[in-house]
Amino acid sequence: MQAIVAQRLLLMLPLMVGMTLIAFVVSHSVPADPVAAHLGQRAMEDKTIVAAFRQQWGLDKPLPEQYLTYLANLARGNMGTSIRTHMPVGEDLARYLPASAELAIVATLVGVFLGVPFGVLSAVRRNHPIDHLLRGISLLGVSSPVFWLGLIALYVFYFRLGWLPGPGRLDVGMPEPQRITGMFTVDSLVTGNWPTFIASIRHLLLPGLVLASVYLGLVTRMTRSSMLEVLSADYVRTARGKGLAQRVVIYRHALGNALIPTITVLGLAFGDILAGTVLTETIFSWPGIGRYAYQSAVTLDFPAIMGVSLLIAGVFITVNLATDLAYVLLDPRLRQATR
Amino acid sequence: MRKWSVLSSSLLTVLALLMASTPVAAAAPAAQTAADPKTLVVGASFDIKSLDPARGFEQIGGMVHKATYNTLVTLDDNDISQIVPDLAQSWDVSPDARTFTFHLRQGVKFHTSDNTMTSADVKWSLERAIAIKGNPSFLLEGITSVETPDPATVVVHKSEADPAFIAKGSFSVFAVLDSKTVQAHGGTNAADANTTDTAETWLNQNSAGTGPFVMTRYVPDSEVDVQKFAGYWKGDAAFDRVIYRNIPTAATQKLTLQAGDIDIATEISPDSVADLQADPGITLAQGQGADIFFLLMNQNPALTNGAMSNPQVQLAVRYALDYEGINALVGGPAATPATILPLGFLGAYGTDRAFKRDLALAAELLIAAGFPNGFSVDLQYPTNFSRSGVSFDLVAQKIQADLAEANINVTLKPGEINTELANYRAGTEGFGFWLWGPDYFDSNDYLAFLPEGIVGKRANWTNGNSDATIQSLRDQINVETDTAARAALWQQAQDYLMLQGPFAVIVQPGVYIATRGRIGNYVYNPAWRVNPYVLSKS
Repeated sequence: MQAIVAQRLLLMLPLMVGMTLIAFVVSHSVPADPVAAHLGQRAMEDKTIVAAFRQQWGLDKPLPEQYLTYLANLARGNMGTSIRTHMPVGEDLARYLPASAELAIVATLVGVFLGVPFGVLSAVRRNHPIDHLLRGISLLGVSSPVFWLGLIALYVFYFRLGWLPGPGRLDVGMPEPQRITGMFTVDSLVTGNWPTFIASIRHLLLPGLVLASVYLGLVTRMTRSSMLEVLSADYVRTARGKGLAQRVVIYRHALGNALIPTITVLGLAFGDILAGTVLTETIFSWPGIGRYAYQSAVTLDFPAIMGVSLLIAGVFITVNLATDLAYVLLDPRLRQATR
Repeated sequence: MRKWSVLSSSLLTVLALLMASTPVAAAAPAAQTAADPKTLVVGASFDIKSLDPARGFEQIGGMVHKATYNTLVTLDDNDISQIVPDLAQSWDVSPDARTFTFHLRQGVKFHTSDNTMTSADVKWSLERAIAIKGNPSFLLEGITSVETPDPATVVVHKSEADPAFIAKGSFSVFAVLDSKTVQAHGGTNAADANTTDTAETWLNQNSAGTGPFVMTRYVPDSEVDVQKFAGYWKGDAAFDRVIYRNIPTAATQKLTLQAGDIDIATEISPDSVADLQADPGITLAQGQGADIFFLLMNQNPALTNGAMSNPQVQLAVRYALDYEGINALVGGPAATPATILPLGFLGAYGTDRAFKRDLALAAELLIAAGFPNGFSVDLQYPTNFSRSGVSFDLVAQKIQADLAEANINVTLKPGEINTELANYRAGTEGFGFWLWGPDYFDSNDYLAFLPEGIVGKRANWTNGNSDATIQSLRDQINVETDTAARAALWQQAQDYLMLQGPFAVIVQPGVYIATRGRIGNYVYNPAWRVNPYVLSKS
């Protein structure tokens, strides 16, 4: 186990450096000029302003020099300054990532704690009305556009019923909690700031559940199909033949093996959710990393693009490592092999 | 039974969470904030890059600056063509429009200290903005020196005549900052301020102006809070607090407004209008936006095999478009201006002078131009891009359909905005579809469309291929300081542009702003959209 972790961590460094090179080359290959994205029409025609802009953001240097400067700064922990927000990229990421992480965690928890039981139930009661119902729900979750679902959810639960608050991470005018992790729920809980804790939880529910709908459908369908396959396996038949209770057969013998493909999906989807929540974040005015990444890309904000690419690469590598470790825990054959 | 217990326990957990939160809703601070008659909550789609007046040049930044800063002059809330005093009580313009003397108010206090505003602060603020060379610095282009003969007088010298300089002075790059305080936070007016001024971080969280409100908080992509400035020179504002809340989508802003969590929604899409009009708690204000959308027909014959550079083809295109259909497609109070000069600007013709579709005349013009069977041409424009509620992709399809009826076969060639912008700027588009938003609220901004102007050059309309009439009009407008005479010159220019020139103006979209019924005195102004100082709340 330790060997796997050490090997992956060692691989992380060249992977991240490679990632910076790819992100740099790709973002600078776009046949467009960041000047056009950041300066107004008149300012673009003013050579002094354009020259000052290029000098300020280091765009007047040759590309190899820009890249090496970036790497040198990165080695010192400096990710540069965003051309769009005029803030250090590291500070931006520290602000936007926790907001998305809160959403991703809610979506993952809902996906796991509802999706897995839904999938198991659906497989066990195959072709039963409950199976049709759960398959319908998961199909709806997978196929509904998130922006549509988000607007409907806001209309019903916020506007019509008034059960949950409107867009944003906190109520209008409410101060942010003392910054520890950047996740408002955690920070307000740790500091005992109960009004902010309640507000942050309530604000998180609607976007979290909307985002979870896609995830829930995916996990339900994956768990169901894996369970169906496992339930017809010889060892499950043997277990049943030995007279074990249905509950023991399903949860102790079948589910562990059936969860392996689901965990693969969970790992990849967590990364996707973290980076791909643009629409949910837009509808719910949620200042997360998805919108930050999108806006950085369309405005050719090179330092921000590099920062987001590095961050997302790091998240995927970490999640993949966690997924591999989960395999080891779930699969006795892998456990054996790693000893 | 056991499977049901798994399902039901999971569902119950979620329901319990939802239900547990319901009683809290009654005491939600959001509702309290918006219901407070002393607090104004404005919903806006944030585009803020910087709240430093010398660096920011975005719409929502300008809205916030209107609350926190004063400029030397400003625009009338009801009429953007009227310039009214702000920190300058009066001003004089030299006959050659190169020297501008501002007579300042006295006893005006800054937010951040007991300092009183003087001409030294004006000089320092202008010099800092010039030296920073930021996005809005072009408005200060040509200033050769700023003199302060006494604490209440500022004299600005320009290298060339600039009759629009006073109108430019209403933008927040002309905001007067407390020079001592900003210097204490890293500000400088030195020539190398571009690299040495470090006050932006402080100015993003504080205001150092003289406006009716003081900035207290800026949370990027979330919220800007300002509070009443008790020492405001015009008298205290009606609101203790104004909160600008970032709500990027029009649909969400509408719901939030109707739910009572915000007082003003600044992004309203035309398809929401009927629903909002039916809501007795909402008041809709409408106004004319200042953006114009136009077709560029390049004067370089090599780009379109001589088609779009032909003056008769250019006129045929102007007659072939279905302007009423385009206005209906854009929705809301969209209108068709007569030329590139938008409705509401000095000297601009009204909609009564706008083109109306005449396909027979368009056909005759094409025959006269030597294209009796029409021709084919590519139309370039930015894809997946909308502004002022106009989707370029959608309107381009309408243009294609309209011109097809005039035997002009248009192939749509959309491109990603930044890529297409590069082609547009390089003047390599034979036939393009673009927009222009005013850089300052003066007709002279539209000199850009005349030969050798910024947009003129993008259409390869130069002194070499334009006639003396339009060049002479351009040069006269550029130096005319008398308002009536300038308006008359612009009307002559418009008469010319209706018959000749490489542009066909398509639409000037309208704007809807929705307010809760309890908000009083709201008037739409395209420069800042919301001026909290003039509003009231019952």
